[in-house]
Order: sequence, then structure tokens, then C-alpha cells
Amino acid sequence: MDVLKSDFPLIVYIDVKSPYAFVSIKPTLALEKELGMQFDWRPLTLDIPAYLGSAEKRRGKVIKSEGRSRKAWNTIKYSYKDARRYAERQGYILKGTEKIWDSSIASIAIIWVCQTAREKLPLFFEAVYPPFWRRELDIEDISVIEACLESVGVKSNGFRDFEADSGRALHDDLQKQFHAHGIYGVPTYVYEEQVFFGREHIPYLRWELKGRTDPTPDIAYEIE
Amino acid sequence: MMLTVFIDFNSPASYLAIQPTVQLVQRIGVRVKWKPYRTELQKVPEKLDIETQGQSHRRVRAIARQRIHQHYATLQGIELNFRSSQGKTDIALGIFSQWKSDPQPFIREAFKAYWQDHADLNDKDTVEKIISRCGNVNGIDVSEALSSLEAAQTEAEQVGVIDAPAYWLQDQLFIGREHLPWINEIVKGTQV
Repeated sequence: MDVLKSDFPLIVYIDVKSPYAFVSIKPTLALEKELGMQFDWRPLTLDIPAYLGSAEKRRGKVIKSEGRSRKAWNTIKYSYKDARRYAERQGYILKGTEKIWDSSIASIAIIWVCQTAREKLPLFFEAVYPPFWRRELDIEDISVIEACLESVGVKSNGFRDFEADSGRALHDDLQKQFHAHGIYGVPTYVYEEQVFFGREHIPYLRWELKGRTDPTPDIAYEIE
Repeated sequence: MMLTVFIDFNSPASYLAIQPTVQLVQRIGVRVKWKPYRTELQKVPEKLDIETQGQSHRRVRAIARQRIHQHYATLQGIELNFRSSQGKTDIALGIFSQWKSDPQPFIREAFKAYWQDHADLNDKDTVEKIISRCGNVNGIDVSEALSSLEAAQTEAEQVGVIDAPAYWLQDQLFIGREHLPWINEIVKGTQV
């Protein structure tokens, strides 16, 4: 799979463990609906310790931290606070995670849903994202992800093999290509092989997808 | 109600925020206070033969950010000429913190000097020339620029500013012009 190419008008890369991806889901789904289009949703499993250091919290207190400067901490704190206020506007709860999760099973499940029951994808997001951000979902447990699939009417029969074999291979193949193509975070949107990081580009992407009919918009976090 | 906007002249995001921020302020009629915030100097890391994931991430992110700034600069009709590494702007920011009258002419001239002419905004003579293009200016003491900046920087950090442009409104901090819709909503909400 080419990371920049798709038969769909827009590629959207997301990761369950990113608060910014979380708050991008609703507006991106709304854009799909508004335009009557289907986007190509794909996973990008972030390697957070590689660029932000790692940390572990328990009951809100940092108990382990490696490779994080004061600036990195301040940036992370602001990012969570910022994502939280937008999540609350969307009716969600966003609690800071207590460890850096391996979200690859949930990522592979996105591919699975797209391949087996694409129309259920919004429901799957709703089954995974909000409970994960309420700290109610162990996304490293494959049986938990299978239960999420089943809860929204996506068959989980065969997912375990897919997760271990072809789905994992597809996921890993994507991961290897990102940096070489200028992709480094989520949410990332790819429109005509141009890469846009962040939901602030939704107004611009709408403008492009609608055929550039209105005045060109600037970046913005659109609010309802 | 007062909207405080923190900017740095070497920050492309700050430059691109000026036009939409001024338009918003004029439209909704909120009072605005412009303040300096010295951002961390940034540089696009060179590609190494062997890179860790972290090194590769930082390089790719830096390149992507420049490309996106350039993209929106073109849409706004702004000329952005990136340098191989950012120049310091301390003297200009210190002067900016002392500014008493309408700072817009200085903001405009300083950004233009940095981004179009690659002027050294940490050079006293260069900054004095910029000031001279801004009409009658009183109360500016170039020799005190650095201490003025340190005081302004401390003030910004106390409210949690970590980058520019940053907006401070009713005890809320917003970093980036993408938050202007929310800022607009806060102001309009208080006007009802």
C-alpha cells in the first residue's frame, strides 16, 4: 500500500492513543457526511518514546520519566489540556493516559473494519476512542478489541489471525514508509499526495474537495 | 475584555497569525495587547546516514512544518524566505515590549525585515532603522531592550506560554491561530 495514494479523495491517518486524533474523529466524519464522500481511513501507530521520551503515571502522578525535558513536559501538558477542552465540547471525557500504550492491535482493527464492514467504521471509532480516553479500555488486549468489533456488528471471526499475519504485515509496511513520505503524526490528511498534519486543515481540505469555489480558508479548529 | 497576543518575529506561525488576528479584532471589537515571546530557535536537522526514529521524526516534522507555513503564506500573499537556521530577535522583541503607541507599524516592519530582507533583529542599529520607519515613537530605550524582554518573557511563561503565537483571554491560553474561532466565540458570548 502506497502511503500517499488512494482511490478515495482523502486519506486520513489516525492512532487511538493520540488525543489530537481523538478530537479529530468527529469533525472528519462530519466532513465525510457533509460532502457525501468516503475517506480512506488508515492507522499510523505512533512511536512516542522515540521523539517525546517516555513516562508512566499512577493515580495522576509521574512515577517514571525518561528523556523528557521541562519543555517537553510543558508541551505535553498543554497538548492534553488543549485536546481535553475540545473533547469536552464534543461531549467526551479525556483523561491523560497513565502509560504509553502499544496501540497496534487497535490500529490493525481499523484496517480490518475497512476491509470487512466499512460502513461500521464510525461505530467502531465510537466503541474504542471514548472508552479508551475514559481509561476504561485495555487496547493491548486483543479480546477487548474483538469485543469492540462485535459490539458494533463487525465480525471478529478471523481477526486474531489477521492481526498476527496479513493485517500486521500491512500495518508494519505502512509504518516503514511514513517518514520517507513526510508523515510523522496524527491526524494526518493526504490530499492529492500533499500531506497535512492536524485537524486545523479541515477548512482547507473542504475547500479543495468542494472544488475551490469559495474564498480560500485559513487554518482553524472549527467549532459547532 | 482584553486579548493578549504573544508573538516572535522569527516565528512563521506568528507572522501568519497577524492578518487573521487583526481582522478578528477589528470585526469583534475586542481590545488587544501585543506582547513579545522569545520562541526557541529552530533549525531543520540535517539528514544523517543512520538516524534513530527520534532524529528522523524531528527532521521530517521540521521540514513538514516549513512546507505548511509556506503553503498558507502563499494563500495569504506573504513572502516567507526561510533561513538555514532561525535568527535571534531579542533586541527587536525587547523594543516591542516597550512600545506604547499602536505597535502595528513596528510589527509589520519587523516581520517584513526578518522574513523578506533577512535582517538581523538582534542588532541594535538594524532595529533602530526599523523604529525610524514607524513614525514618531516615544519612550523607547534600546539600551534597556534585553532587560525589558526578560521581564516580558517571565510574564509570558507565568501564564504558561510555550510557543507563539499565543493568545491569552479570560484565563485561557490558546497556542496557534487555529483557535481564533473559539476566541471569537468567547468574545461574542460576553457581548450578548
